[in-house]
Amino acid sequence: MNSPPPIPSSDHLRLQTCRALVIAGIILYVPANVIPVMTMTVVGRVEPLTVLGGVEELYHSGLPVIAGIVFLASIVVPFCKLATLSWLLIMHGSTECQQQRATARRIVHLIGSWSMVDIFLLSVLAAVGQLGVLASVVAKPGAFFFAAVLVCTIFASESYKPRMIWQTREPLET
Amino acid sequence: MTELSSPTPRWISCPECEAACREVPLPPRAVLHCRRCGVVVRKSTRPTSLQPAWALATAGLLLMVMANVTPIMSFDVAGNTQTNLIGTGVITLYKQGYWPVAGLVFFSAIAAPALYLATVWYVVAACCLARPWPGLHRMLTWAEILESWNLVPVFALATLVSVVKLDTLGTVTWHHGAIWLAVLSICAFLTSQLFDHRMVEERLEELA
Ligand SMILES: [Zn+2]
Repeated sequence: MNSPPPIPSSDHLRLQTCRALVIAGIILYVPANVIPVMTMTVVGRVEPLTVLGGVEELYHSGLPVIAGIVFLASIVVPFCKLATLSWLLIMHGSTECQQQRATARRIVHLIGSWSMVDIFLLSVLAAVGQLGVLASVVAKPGAFFFAAVLVCTIFASESYKPRMIWQTREPLET
Repeated sequence: MTELSSPTPRWISCPECEAACREVPLPPRAVLHCRRCGVVVRKSTRPTSLQPAWALATAGLLLMVMANVTPIMSFDVAGNTQTNLIGTGVITLYKQGYWPVAGLVFFSAIAAPALYLATVWYVVAACCLARPWPGLHRMLTWAEILESWNLVPVFALATLVSVVKLDTLGTVTWHHGAIWLAVLSICAFLTSQLFDHRMVEERLEELA
């Protein structure tokens, strides 16, 4: 009764997948935020925009609330997601902070999908921004990296199941 | 208390951490928390019917069609106008050579929400009509996987942000598609809230 339940072998695979995806996500996070995701041409003026650049531009056009939402969703959320997943992976198997880890995982899982907002924004802007020199939006390589970060974090948090927080080497108290 | 307790205690697994929790008869309005992680394992007051989820999934599927075939907005600069559908951006990104990004947008804004609503509809309809249709358990698993890809509300937010942004550059006109998109977002969200996996599983066991 007091021996820990055996850890299914599929969970070892899940753990390894999650590790690989988090490391890939952290590496890709850098180019995703440094390389422009699009260029915006407005009345003949061509402007390359990084994710942060897009936020700044929204802020300067007098839209601080919208700028704040986009900043949270596309920069803070992916960062928090990678940080939380790293924490879960580092602490895996330990009995410390299990409650906190479970709560953090739940929050990250809940807000995680909002980071897709920037990719959708690029898609909508590219769709209507087809007016030549007057106004046009063209995707740039940063979009690849940004999309890759999102895909990595989504699959990483899918592969780390909440039950894995509670798998420890020590016997359960009953 | 003694008359309430069942002769053979049932063990249920916590939906979050999968610890075995002993099912005790709950007084009204009480909830059973997991002893290990604290998540609600069972409520005494649970929705008794899957009909609302069925209605919402049906409405959602119809709205999905409407939102995808009706223009959402048009953008006008000095007499040049460009109108868009949800799928226009996918085609544009594909043409610009960004097919992985286009694929991601297509999957998460169109394909996954549609498949999610369809799988929920199928499972819930089978429960409501008490018909043991084939592949119900597989469909339930798919509904669970697709739930986190149900990103229509996020797309709606992105549309709103882009309109606010474009408004500083030219004239933006809303079309009917925007209404369908807004209603679809609410509908897709409510469907995922009302779709009770546990209850569906129990119904499926009764059906088999
Ligand atoms: Zn639990």
